[in-house]
Amino acid sequence: MVDPIFDYQFRLILIGDSTVGKSSLLKYFTDGKFAELSDPTVGVDFFARIIEVQDGTRIKLQLWDTAGQERFRSITKSYYRNSVGALLVYDVCNRSSFEHIPLWMMEAKRHIEPHRPVFALVGCKVDLVGTDSKNGARREVSCEEARMFAEENGLHHVETSAKTGVNVEQAFILVAQEVYNRIQTGEYKVEDGWDGIKSGFNRPNGMDFNLLEAETVQSTCC
Amino acid sequence: MPQSDSEDFESADEGHSNATRKERKKRNSSSNYSDNLDSDFEQRRPQPKESNSTEKVATTDGWDDFDVDESETAKETHLKFGDDKPIMSSSQDTGWNDFGDWGESDTVKSEEIKQNTTLELSNNAQIQNPSVTTKETEKQIKSDGWGWGWGVDSLLSTATAGISTITSQVSQGITTVLETGIGAPNPEELARITKEKAKITENEVSEDKQEMTDSTFQFGSLLSGVTKFVENTGTKVISGGLDTLEVIGKKTMEVLQDGDPGLVKKRAMLGLETEKPILSQILREAKDRADEEDKVKEAKREAKEVHYESLFDDFEGLVHLEALEMLSRQVSMRIEERLRSSDPEKRLDIKETLQQVAELCEMPEDDEDDDYEESGDLSKEDVFHEHLQRATRDIGLKLQFQPLIKQYTEILTWLESNDLNEKAIYKRAVSGLAHATALCVELYHKTGEMLLVKPRRSTADEADALTQLTLVLTKHVSELASIFTEELSKKQAEDKDLVNNYITNVFLEAGNSSKYIQNAFQLALPIIQIGAV
Repeated sequence: MVDPIFDYQFRLILIGDSTVGKSSLLKYFTDGKFAELSDPTVGVDFFARIIEVQDGTRIKLQLWDTAGQERFRSITKSYYRNSVGALLVYDVCNRSSFEHIPLWMMEAKRHIEPHRPVFALVGCKVDLVGTDSKNGARREVSCEEARMFAEENGLHHVETSAKTGVNVEQAFILVAQEVYNRIQTGEYKVEDGWDGIKSGFNRPNGMDFNLLEAETVQSTCC
Repeated sequence: MPQSDSEDFESADEGHSNATRKERKKRNSSSNYSDNLDSDFEQRRPQPKESNSTEKVATTDGWDDFDVDESETAKETHLKFGDDKPIMSSSQDTGWNDFGDWGESDTVKSEEIKQNTTLELSNNAQIQNPSVTTKETEKQIKSDGWGWGWGVDSLLSTATAGISTITSQVSQGITTVLETGIGAPNPEELARITKEKAKITENEVSEDKQEMTDSTFQFGSLLSGVTKFVENTGTKVISGGLDTLEVIGKKTMEVLQDGDPGLVKKRAMLGLETEKPILSQILREAKDRADEEDKVKEAKREAKEVHYESLFDDFEGLVHLEALEMLSRQVSMRIEERLRSSDPEKRLDIKETLQQVAELCEMPEDDEDDDYEESGDLSKEDVFHEHLQRATRDIGLKLQFQPLIKQYTEILTWLESNDLNEKAIYKRAVSGLAHATALCVELYHKTGEMLLVKPRRSTADEADALTQLTLVLTKHVSELASIFTEELSKKQAEDKDLVNNYITNVFLEAGNSSKYIQNAFQLALPIIQIGAV
């Protein structure tokens, strides 16, 4: 069960073509496990984990794992709105998944408006690179190319593997830290009727002591 | 030499030990409390006057001995009085801190005010009384500086406040008193008093003004002379601490109290009651309160562990519910749009269809088909699974019941293990219900999503399936609740109340669960409807 003590909750959404590895990335991030086989996501699934940003502030990440399949597209659209961050996920061994990234980004921008989310470009399955013939896996998206795209569009970029766990943590912390920084600068704030960012002590058991502590932390940073 | 009642206090003071003084001071600070709330410093002046008049009442009541000392000087008293003021205000704080929550909130204040008002009402008569009686006692009051101060002040404040009928009556009385005092006070003395007063009030002026605007409040402070009197007595006692005075004060209070039983409370608050029992009582109360707070804290900690909503959230129930809401809202908008873009007769058709689907999804009043007949040698989980499948047979989707079945199995296994105490069972019951409910909500959410991408819709079947499913699921949560409560009532606990409390809560949360489930079903309704239009 998730430790209930946190200062903020950020809602992040993962988008990208089907089978690029969104669910596996999340599973590793929240569970530390890699599933060799997994069913395609139906609609949206949820994961949660608490992390700490640089100053020790505790952030609960509520992660919305969307279905990548075309047939769910109309449904997943309705889930974008309340996200403060979006991870654009592609498979480094799948060229077209990378080529669709601009479309995903436009889609996200359109539906998250008027809010402006933090984006990160996340390449998956780097563990497959170099295993060559066996799975027929070959890198189809170079790191440089992806980095260039990220720079052009002002995104963070990271290459990960949900199998080895490399950079999985960083991908999420990167986004969380950026969101947190934007809170510090006043660009983002907790708003009624928008669930992208929530204060931790809004939880039902908000009167408990630990959360009151959280409140003081919160007041110093706003 | 001007004469005043305070003088009596002063002279009587002599010969008292410092210890008594200290104690008095403390008391005094309590009386300040009420003053503080009323916060009219001006009114402080009035008090003495008030005390005068009340004393006068007393006088006519045969307190002849009281007047005996009246010919002594007041000079020293006044000096002292001036000195005491700051002391009083500083002691105010410390005194009140001891009482913790008194200063806490406005409620106290309003209570106080209310109290005052009641006092006033009854005191009104008493205040009038002096005005009648003053004539008789006029000679005795001659050269009363206090009277002066009061009169001036009261007139001032009444003027500021805008007088209601009752207040004007009172002020009539005041005027009478004033008249009796005119000419009497020593101008020197008077000047000093006024100066002092001006100094003191200056600080409070802004605050006072605010309060003045509220005429009711003003009315209250005007008439709260009794409180002031008490406070004033305290002040004097500080400078003196004369036993005689205490007796006088107490007697006066008694007299006042005869006409106002509610005053008992005020007296108790001011600590003017016979002290010792009160002090110990206060301590006892404080201790009780502390104990109570500890208990509450503990209960809170405990409650957190078994907080249904938090658990429901932790099991992702809340976020599934929210996502289902988003979906439901979006689909409703689409339906609306479709209605708007249709021509009138088509629109009527659509509306009718929507209505029909809604009716299909109405929950049967009572579950007529109580087909929970024991299905041979099937385990409880299997029975549950079968019910789920039978309910959703015609929906045309492959639904995932495994999480629900698995959770059920876990609970049943857990309960079979020995050596469970009541609290453990209770905790498990709440989290089990929250978990099951979260899974149910997730099931509706997933079903909704799949219905929306389903190639061929069959609205009637879907509506029926989801209605049946809702029945099965609500039955399931009440089944869970009864499993746990049976287990709880099997326990021969020492604390029957606690166990009963647990049982009640489990049923309460089961009701909660049912509500969540039905709510989720209602959110799914537009998703079923859109398949038909």
